[in-house]
Amino acid sequence: MSGCTDNTAVNYSADAITDDGSCFFFSTTPFIIETPSGFPEMNIPSNNPMTVEGVSLGEKLFKDPILSRNNTQACINCHQQNFSFSDPNQYSTGIDHIQGIRNASALINIGWNTSFNWDGSSLTLEEQAFEPVSNPIEMHNDWKVVESTLNTHADYPTLFKEAFNIDYIDSNYVVMAIAQFERTLISANSKFDRYLKGEAQLTVSELGGYAIFNSEKGDCFHCHGTQMFMDNLFHNNGLDPEPFTDLGLGKITNNASDNAKFKTPTLRNIELTAPYMHDGRFSTLEEVVEHYNSGGEYSLTVDPLMKKLGVGLQLTNQEKQDLIAFLKTLTDNNFISEK
Amino acid sequence: MKRIFVIFTTISLVFTACEKEEEIIEGCTDTGSVNYNSNATNDNGSCKYNLSINFTHTIDGNPLEINQMIYTNTASQNYSIQTLRYLLSDITLHSANGTSTLLDEVHFITISDPSTFNLDIQDLNSANYIAISFTMGLDSLKNITNNYLNESFFPSFSWPDFIGGGYHYMQLEGDYTTALQGYATHTGGTDGIDFSFTKHFPISLNIANANTIVIINMEINNWYSNPNIINLTTDGIMGNANKQSLLQANGIADVFSIFYPIK
Ligand code: HEC
Ligand code: HEC
Repeated sequence: MSGCTDNTAVNYSADAITDDGSCFFFSTTPFIIETPSGFPEMNIPSNNPMTVEGVSLGEKLFKDPILSRNNTQACINCHQQNFSFSDPNQYSTGIDHIQGIRNASALINIGWNTSFNWDGSSLTLEEQAFEPVSNPIEMHNDWKVVESTLNTHADYPTLFKEAFNIDYIDSNYVVMAIAQFERTLISANSKFDRYLKGEAQLTVSELGGYAIFNSEKGDCFHCHGTQMFMDNLFHNNGLDPEPFTDLGLGKITNNASDNAKFKTPTLRNIELTAPYMHDGRFSTLEEVVEHYNSGGEYSLTVDPLMKKLGVGLQLTNQEKQDLIAFLKTLTDNNFISEK
Repeated sequence: MKRIFVIFTTISLVFTACEKEEEIIEGCTDTGSVNYNSNATNDNGSCKYNLSINFTHTIDGNPLEINQMIYTNTASQNYSIQTLRYLLSDITLHSANGTSTLLDEVHFITISDPSTFNLDIQDLNSANYIAISFTMGLDSLKNITNNYLNESFFPSFSWPDFIGGGYHYMQLEGDYTTALQGYATHTGGTDGIDFSFTKHFPISLNIANANTIVIINMEINNWYSNPNIINLTTDGIMGNANKQSLLQANGIADVFSIFYPIK
């Protein structure tokens, strides 16, 4: 019997006695992340390097309802590309028609986040991806079931073999592939980015908004600063008085001084990701700006940068419009049309 | 009789052991050093020591307690502290022979993460150190937008290009007068003026001890007191060169102090 007799080859055949020169070996093509200007290096776990094979497998998994128990829901159903990988509904509905209490986060430049979910409950994208699959109000599946479905599937065993050189698909590799895909969701080509490169002009109103955003007049930059438009920190931006219905970070750290603090979201593509805030309470940017403009509610944990509670920024109507005009320069149409 | 005999044997054993060691082994012979070499017979001056710099924060001499409206500044305003984050740069030890040792180019301290209260220096040469110096903030060569993209204080410590770029030197925040009013004492370069400043403290430190600790204390209330009495307001001060220069003068005066063991 002839075949590949090299046991380090992908197609090693234990039955083969003579080698017929058909051996081929595991090799992947590195996927290069281009770091946008003003961004640090992305922190990629050393045990999950980016490969072209891993990313494309991750994309297939992200879009495939096979991960859900009744084969009806994929990640992409709650993280819709047209809405910058977020859900236009205030609360997403899982496969059993049950809704959660949080608005589905937009997935934008998440490879640079240092924690995940509104309350920071996951510390890596790999860890995060385990959760929606088994969450009873989301895809309500069992990882053992997912593993057996994937292992008996027509295409997946080959794709996992190509990406990770494995013969049995273990859930760890499923989340690794998904995380690789999520790290490619990079948005840095908005009108504002082109303006910074000198390739586009901002209108007078947009420039006015830029000035409000980036000075202490609007003071948005302290939390939504730099070209990342976020700070990787948690704040209570004064949405609610006590008692809080959602403890946010406080529930994770068990520290009352973290109650009602949520992760600052990036404002990139903010025009596309309504509704807003962790619970999707605001449906328009006008409502969001009105929240900051009227100062927010007092509570023990409200951020000191919400400097005038109940009084607010006192912007004029024109200034509010300018601020919103600026926020809309952060829309990156390539991001929602590519792929 | 028996006892004397035992002692005698021991001594003769020691003699035998010594006779075997003919070669001289160079190395560090100080057991208190980090590179103590138990085989070394001759100290060649290579001993290295650990130094730990601790950053402490006081108000009127007492350790800082956060989130409590229990402090009063010279302008008679009551205030609390919720956030204190700052950058010290070019932390340097100066020795008697004129050389200096850079301990850290930039060190970020935040009261929400006590691990930032320590700067552990390993492998410091034994020397008579006569001064320690550091810069509060970043000098104009360092204070450049995106200069420290991979540091933990990016992105949150950035100072927008729109108002000069670079980084905050300090974010001191809390409430004043009532819990409804927040203040933000944010210092940094403003209007093209570099408001960083360097403090140089004479010390007399011979690091020849396993672990020497030097404390750099920030007396927070002094930012608002001397020589300039500063009122807290809800207005931002980031574009206000006048306020920045008053704070800089107070910072230079008596905000920082140094404590170290005297031998
Ligand atoms: C039923 C809707 C739903 C499905 C299906 C779903 N998600 Fe989510 N996703 C959410 C919601 C809601 C949140 C916010 C959760 C929170 O903060 O508590 C979220 C948060 C996230 C985050 C955190 C983003 C950030 O910036 O912190 C990531 C990453 C993510 N989802 C990835 C996935 C992946 C991968 C899948 C598929 C395996 C998936 N989601 C499936 C609704 C969904
Ligand atoms: C103290 C920090 C802080 C400041 C200052 C701040 N924000 Fe926010 N912002 C947050 C946090 C935290 C959230 C998420 C809060 C939540 O969902 O509970 C948020 C949410 C938002 C959202 C909704 C994002 C989404 O994806 O749902 C928008 C839009 C927004 N902020 C705009 C602004 C603007 C405009 C300003 C200036 C007027 C500003 N923010 C000032 C911290 C801040």
